[in-house]
Parts: sequence; structure tokens; C-alpha cells
Amino acid sequence: MFLFLHRHFFSLLRIPSQFFPTFTSLTFSTTLSMADYQMLDDVDADDIPHAFLCCVCLDLLHKPIVLSCGHVSCFWCVHKSMNGFRESHCPICRRPYYHFPTICEMLHQLIMKIYPAAYKKRESQILEEERKIGLFSPQFDSLTCGSQADIKVEHLEESANGQLNTITKNDKVVAELILEENSEVVRSTSVESLNSLQDPCAQKPQNQEKISVADVLCRVCTQLLFRPVVLNCGHAFCESCINSQVETLECEVCQFLQPKGFPNVCLELDQFLKEQFPEEYSLRRDSVQLELELAKSIKHDNPTSCSNEEGKKGTDLPRWGEVASKVHCAVGCDSCGMYPIIGDRYKCKDCLEEVGFDLCGDCYNTRSKRPGRFNQQHRPEHKFQLVRPQMFRNMRLGVVTEMLEEGSTTFIIANDEGSDSSDDIGAILEFSSDARESDEDDSDVDGRTQTNDNRTDQNYSQPT
Amino acid sequence: MAAINRYTDNTAPANPVVSPAKQSLPPAKTADSQSVLKRLQSELMALMMSGDSGISAFPEEDNIFCWKGTITGSKDTVFEGTEYRLTFSFPNDYPFKPPKVKFETGCFHPNVDVYGNICLDILQDKWSSAYDVRTILLSIQSLLGEPNISSPLNTQAAQLWSNQEEYRKMVEKLYKPPTAA
Repeated sequence: MFLFLHRHFFSLLRIPSQFFPTFTSLTFSTTLSMADYQMLDDVDADDIPHAFLCCVCLDLLHKPIVLSCGHVSCFWCVHKSMNGFRESHCPICRRPYYHFPTICEMLHQLIMKIYPAAYKKRESQILEEERKIGLFSPQFDSLTCGSQADIKVEHLEESANGQLNTITKNDKVVAELILEENSEVVRSTSVESLNSLQDPCAQKPQNQEKISVADVLCRVCTQLLFRPVVLNCGHAFCESCINSQVETLECEVCQFLQPKGFPNVCLELDQFLKEQFPEEYSLRRDSVQLELELAKSIKHDNPTSCSNEEGKKGTDLPRWGEVASKVHCAVGCDSCGMYPIIGDRYKCKDCLEEVGFDLCGDCYNTRSKRPGRFNQQHRPEHKFQLVRPQMFRNMRLGVVTEMLEEGSTTFIIANDEGSDSSDDIGAILEFSSDARESDEDDSDVDGRTQTNDNRTDQNYSQPT
Repeated sequence: MAAINRYTDNTAPANPVVSPAKQSLPPAKTADSQSVLKRLQSELMALMMSGDSGISAFPEEDNIFCWKGTITGSKDTVFEGTEYRLTFSFPNDYPFKPPKVKFETGCFHPNVDVYGNICLDILQDKWSSAYDVRTILLSIQSLLGEPNISSPLNTQAAQLWSNQEEYRKMVEKLYKPPTAA
């Protein structure tokens, strides 16, 4: 591995190696595997705008997921960042969330169009990793709720109508594939061809597709997304197209109920749209503002319009101290994404995959027909069995929590449940006293959600 | 979906007091460690390009999972003019778990014990996978100037903190500059 750094690091950085005499004198191991060589082909992260870099893997977003706070990360990065025992927190702003969101397919398609080569490379790398663990992220013909056909038809219709979406000057971002034969480094670069002084023909590789407004439409107003929010089901809408006044927010496309709280605008995507389609964006902004003012003049008493009143629903968040005995640790609902499942858990008896297929009580009762969050071959005719939270273990978890309050740190919990231990978490659980401060931590959940807007993008560090 | 990987336990690791100083061997090359390698390489590049003053870090010779970092005491603090070396040891599931960070150079500080263990929330339960080596170094650098006196690891340092003049003398007396690598 270090041979890579030695040989290519400085060339990637474009810094003459004599600036780092101490580093070049380091001795490196000379054994390189094929995997190491594959990494030489990495896309130079500097060439991808910040909007499309994952904050966790620092690489091009792959199968992006937009959390309810509006921050974006890869499918696997979100999944691995989630906590199997209690609520999870956004890596960037720490906003708590309870449901594993679905991939935002619009964003996926968009990034794939802009960086076809880099995205393909990411795809194959991740596929290789998925093969090793035997668990696959959703493939896109089976993703979400069978609404893909509609999307495509709609897009076709709209481009046929020739409305504002066939705009030719949208090819500002062109991914350029440079094959550097000597170093065998394939890099994809984004080129701003805004200034038409450059020869446009020279910047069109064969596999490059133009992105247009048709790629970034709101499914409600069928116009360019303005201040986009992405629901838990992965569908994107303008903030103003979603009724924030209703108690339960339902996706207009798949009728999926949004879990508690109104999602925040995905600012990275918004900024990208603003830069990418400046004219359409300002048109949209003007029209939305006009609508808002009209709405205000009609309802004087209620000027809230589309502002994020997310805090008002914060009281519905479960208190972990109370629900601890109903938690199915490290088991998530494949329909709504609740992770871990709290309350009833229905496990599919016919799905053979190791990851299994589970539904929470609500999704089971509403006969949810959504496919699994991974690659499970679940069929509607499959039978479910109700699985109780493992009382014995939960009892002991309670003991652990008590002991933790006395200041101890690490506990080993033997798992001798015979019946349902196949998909169980490992036998050894490590807890820290701070991570289990259930009551104390939950009480400020409400406050945290309310003040969330102010502290987005900031992580505070406090010495303990 | 029941988790089948080992990322489900995202709670903080055991107290660093009992943790080993560093991993002795490079971890096996699994699918995970490939992505960890990639992430660490990205971090290394970003860190070297950032040009932050007073902090630096670089992997050890034969193991990218172990880094050595240095922090210079910030101006107008009692640690001004001192330099501290730290060790980073990255777990196999980094960045979903925090690295183990220790002072290698002795540091007379309320939140650092005699073994170099650091009491900092972002290295424990407040860890987020969006943190990186650079933010850790910056956090520790600011921790030097702004200790948390209420939960000290080094009570003597915590008591002395109120008297900055005496504290400075103590820092100078105990300070042993790190030897060249």
C-alpha cells in the first residue's frame, strides 16, 4: 500500500517530491495486491464538487441517501453509521433519526449522468465489497415502490412537450475522462465549459450525457426543484410543494408516510441546482415567493407557509427509557426503515437471505408491499412470524444500564437464547456509560430538534 | 433486515484507559479495510493540502492504520511554544468507530492523564463518522487552551489551571520536547 503513496502520492498532489524529503526517505513495504493497484485508478476527489462528496467515505456519493436533516451520504455509509440499539444521529449535524431512508434515485441518476466513469468505478468497487459480505444494496430496477415506470414515462412526455426542460446550455458540467497511460491513473474531471471560448466539441467524451432540468424535477409541480427536500422514501420535492401543515406527511408519489418531523432542505443539492440552472432557478424562486405572498394575503393569521416547524412533532419521539424492553436490537423494518424496530417485529419465514426480511408492527398491519432494503427476494405470499423482543436479554440489558449508572464501562453479555439467535447481534456487547445515558439524553431530543436549524453543519466538541 | 455485520454496535468503545497503545499488526485486508484504506488516504491528502498551522500527521512507516501526529500549543495559551506528539490507532471499522488517540509526549493538562490518555467526548461517545484526523487534531489543540476543569483526569493540573502564571511554569518544567522521528 505504501508503495502507492510513495510512487503516486506526490504525482496526485502535483507537488514535487523534494518538498517532502523526510517522507520520501521512508521505507515502504513492497508487497502489493491487485486491490492496491485498483486504488491507483481512484478519481481525484478534488475534481468532484463538495456537493457530491460523501462526508463519511470522502469519495463520490454512491447510491445517495438524503437524511431528514438534508445531509447526504452513501447508502452503505448511512447504514454503517446507524446505531442498532437506539436512535441514530446524522454524522454532520447530529440530528437524531430513527428510520433508514431509501436511496434518492433522482440524485443517483443525476450523479451517474455527470460522472459516468467515476460512478461506474465506484459501483464496481462497491459491488466487489458487497460480494465479499454477501449483502447487496438495492438494484435500481427493484428499488422503491414500483414507481420507476411512471417516472420514465413522465420524463418522456415532458421532454416531448418541449417545456422548459430541453435547455441546451445545461451542459456546463462535463465529465472528462483522461487516460494517463504512464501512471495508469484514470481521473474524471469536471470541466466548466461556461465560457464558450473553449471548443465545446473537445470536451464531449462518448459516454457523457447532458443533464437537463428534466433530471431534477419536482414530482408535484413538475418544474425544477426549488429548495428540494427528500422524503424518507427517497422521492424529492420542492419544499413549497409539500404541505407542512398536515400531521402526517405522505409522499405524493408512493403514498408512503413520512416518519416524524418535517425534512430539511437538502442545501447541497439546492446550491448545485442554483449554479447549474441559474435562470430556471431564479424563475422558480420568484414564482414560489409570489405564491407565498398570495398565500399570506389570504391567511393573515397563519403566516407560517413553508417554514420548517419540525420541532412541534418532536414530542412524538420515543423515550428510550420507556421503550427499552420493546427494542429489537440491530433489526430494522424493511418497509419504513425503522432501525432498530421498537414494538412488534414480524420476521419473514420464507426469506432465506442471512439479512432476513422484517417488518415493524405498523408496516405489517398496513400490508406493506415494499421490497426489502437490501437484495432480499421477498414475495408477497411469504409468511411472517411474530418475534418477541428477547425478554431475557432485555432484562439483562436493564441490569447493565443500572450498572452503567454506577460508572462501569464494559460488559460482556452472554447470548444463550436458543430460538432466534441466528440473526442476533454478537455475543459481546460493549457499552459505554455515556452512550447509554438514556433518560438524560432523550430529554433533550426535543430541544435539539428545535434548535437544529441554527447548528446545522456544526459539530461541537466538549471535553468530558 | 437484521444486521449481519459488525457495525451495529455503534456505541462508544471501551474506555481508552484500558486500550492498548496501538495495533501491533496491520489488519487483514478485508472488504472493510479496503474502504478504510481509501478513506485514510483521502484524509492524508486533504490534511497535507490544507496547510493548517500547528497540526500535522503522517502514517507510520509500515502501517497506515497507525499515524503519528503533532500539535503545537496555540498562541496566547500556557502551551505556546510547546510541541506534542500523538499516536493515532485506527480500528478496522473506521470511520464508524473513533481512532484511539494518545499523547506520546507528556502533557500537563487537566484532561490528559500521565499515560497520555485524552478525555475528549468526540473521541468517545460523541464521535461522528464525519470527523477526521484533521478535526481531531484541531479539537485537541483547542482542548489544550480550553480544558474542562469539571471532569479532570489530572486533578493537579485542574487545580493549578486558575493560576495561569504558575501553570505556565509547570508546563515549562515538565515539558520534554518530542525527539525527532
